[in-house]
Amino acid sequence: MKKMINRRNFLKFSSAGIASALAASTGLVSWSPRAEAATINQTFVITEGFITQPDGVDVYFKSFSPNAASLTVPGAQIIVQEGDTVNITIDNTLGTDHSFVIDGIVDSGIIAGGSSKTVSFVVNSAGSYLYYDGLNAPYNRLVGLHGAFSVMPLGSSNELYAGSATFVQQYSWVTNDIDPVWHDAVRLGNAPTSAFNPYYFTINGRSMRVPGHPDYANPDIDSGYAPDTRLEGSIGDRTLVRILNAGMCIHSMHFHANHVEVLARDKQVLSDVWLKDVVRLNNNLGHTDVIYPFDPPPDAHPAVTTGSFPMHMHDEMTQTAGGGLYQFGAATSIKFK
Amino acid sequence: MFNILEKYTPMMGMGGGGGMGGGGGMGGGSCYVYPDAPATPGEVTPDISFNRGIYMNGSMTMDDGRSVTIWGFTDGGGMGGMGNQFPSPAIRAMEGQVVHTNLNVEGMMWLHTIHHHGIEPSQENDGVGHYSFDVDGTYTYQWKASHAGTYFYHCHTNTVLHAEMGMYGALIIDPPEGPGTLFSGGPTYDVEAIWACDEIDSSWHNLNWDAGTCGGDVGLNSLNPDYFIISGVDGAQSALTDPAVAVTMNAGQKLLVRYITAGYLPQRINFGGLTATVHMSDGRALPKPVQVTGLETCAAERYDCIFEPTTAGVYEVTVDYLDWVTGDVVGTARTRINVN
Repeated sequence: MKKMINRRNFLKFSSAGIASALAASTGLVSWSPRAEAATINQTFVITEGFITQPDGVDVYFKSFSPNAASLTVPGAQIIVQEGDTVNITIDNTLGTDHSFVIDGIVDSGIIAGGSSKTVSFVVNSAGSYLYYDGLNAPYNRLVGLHGAFSVMPLGSSNELYAGSATFVQQYSWVTNDIDPVWHDAVRLGNAPTSAFNPYYFTINGRSMRVPGHPDYANPDIDSGYAPDTRLEGSIGDRTLVRILNAGMCIHSMHFHANHVEVLARDKQVLSDVWLKDVVRLNNNLGHTDVIYPFDPPPDAHPAVTTGSFPMHMHDEMTQTAGGGLYQFGAATSIKFK
Repeated sequence: MFNILEKYTPMMGMGGGGGMGGGGGMGGGSCYVYPDAPATPGEVTPDISFNRGIYMNGSMTMDDGRSVTIWGFTDGGGMGGMGNQFPSPAIRAMEGQVVHTNLNVEGMMWLHTIHHHGIEPSQENDGVGHYSFDVDGTYTYQWKASHAGTYFYHCHTNTVLHAEMGMYGALIIDPPEGPGTLFSGGPTYDVEAIWACDEIDSSWHNLNWDAGTCGGDVGLNSLNPDYFIISGVDGAQSALTDPAVAVTMNAGQKLLVRYITAGYLPQRINFGGLTATVHMSDGRALPKPVQVTGLETCAAERYDCIFEPTTAGVYEVTVDYLDWVTGDVVGTARTRINVN
């Protein structure tokens, strides 16, 4: 950082995501349904800075942050319900153009460096969406300008869409694949020229740490303990997980201890619900919604109702950081309480 | 429940004598591994048991004449035991049975586990690094086979490397009706094939078992495969005719292909003009079977496909391995279904 010729003041963080800044501060997305539509207001400040990766290397990011003094990758989870009017104000503090896009719902167009813009839109269709910067594609999105946007069915607290299988709690996971060479090119205002070489892998901006590492179990750093990533439940706590891929790689999400019910993929409701231990996640805005049932692990003998298990990607390159450090990648924990 | 060491540096300096000729030697200390071999909680007399040792000095000769180091599990548990099969010998049990998988890692020079992928046992028996432990001696995995279907087992220590090195085998749960029925109430079959489709990046195959665990870039983020295999047979040519892979059947018979995506890259299989009815995936029956002429799959998925060809012929099956970023085909394996 000392050699930085850029005069801007860079923020530096030990991890992505400042938990207290999340709209869903408990990690679980809390939601109380309303009988009537409402108006939802949200402000994002586009900031930049560095986030330290598991191997100690600082990598450049930009984000939709809650204020000018933070760098929140991904941006805050937003949850609304069908019929709501949403007003999003984006304050671009940087010198570069950015935008705010939700496919099929809103596109702010160019928000010039140093300017602000408010977009207003009505949401009509329940489901899971990624908001992101559509400019300089895909680079602005990859370097952190993205976040989860969830639309609940009108008046419902426990469905993905009206009539879907039900759940009792929900999470959103945004996955990303990080090539620090590309991030540095973006920092310098250049288009990356090398082939994409993902080197770090994250869920909600964080990677795993393991026992013995100083950051193990730190909820601000360790994706196995971050409250917006780690699944916790007792038997019967059916859990909706909305999985959104901001990155460039096709992934394979492997859940231990229970099969999941796959409800939707790439904005399509699946008419037949398959039970899977591996779920495909397409790249470049791919998506899937699954319910983790928190049933007793069916093959335990003697039977059990508690335990800790991983959810990890099975394209195992993602389980590394910096070319090694197995289990410091895109994974989290599933805790049967 | 278990004494999990926070940071483990086993037997520094044993690397010289501990090498197994296949890249299995110690590399000067491991980090973030969790050695233990406790008693199995609630151990009972099993209905069926399997003994698995390990080998790290196997090899596979490719169609181009090159030999690539392979690691895997042996049948019987002895180091010199029952050969160096690749893939590792199948585990096959019946729905309802209590199963023991007895792992013996043959000394404390390396760590391994068995994760029964898709089987969902207790935490201690799940075979995953720090969630349970990396086995440094012997451990008996105890689990109950609750759902018929196609699974696989693999090592879950430094998994990115150990599974790539070949430490996997098929895991089949038959329904009470026995082999010949996919699941109770499901289809029957006359002929069975297990296709575990995998890609090999030979540049990874000279690494130590603990490569990268202490940090440092050993390239495990970047898989650039140069061989594409089906059930341990090179898909360039050999799998077209090798009877371990290629199917020979009669028109009117029913063929079950248990297709296991054993590699890390997405795959696209094309059945060469035949239509498959997919009845199960990942060990669970589909609500409605689907008819397909091919499938696009991702790492570790399994699909159970029934074929009922009525016309004699040679059907060439292709498995394209796809770049996980671009989706471009990076390699292809081929085999055949010969219908007489």
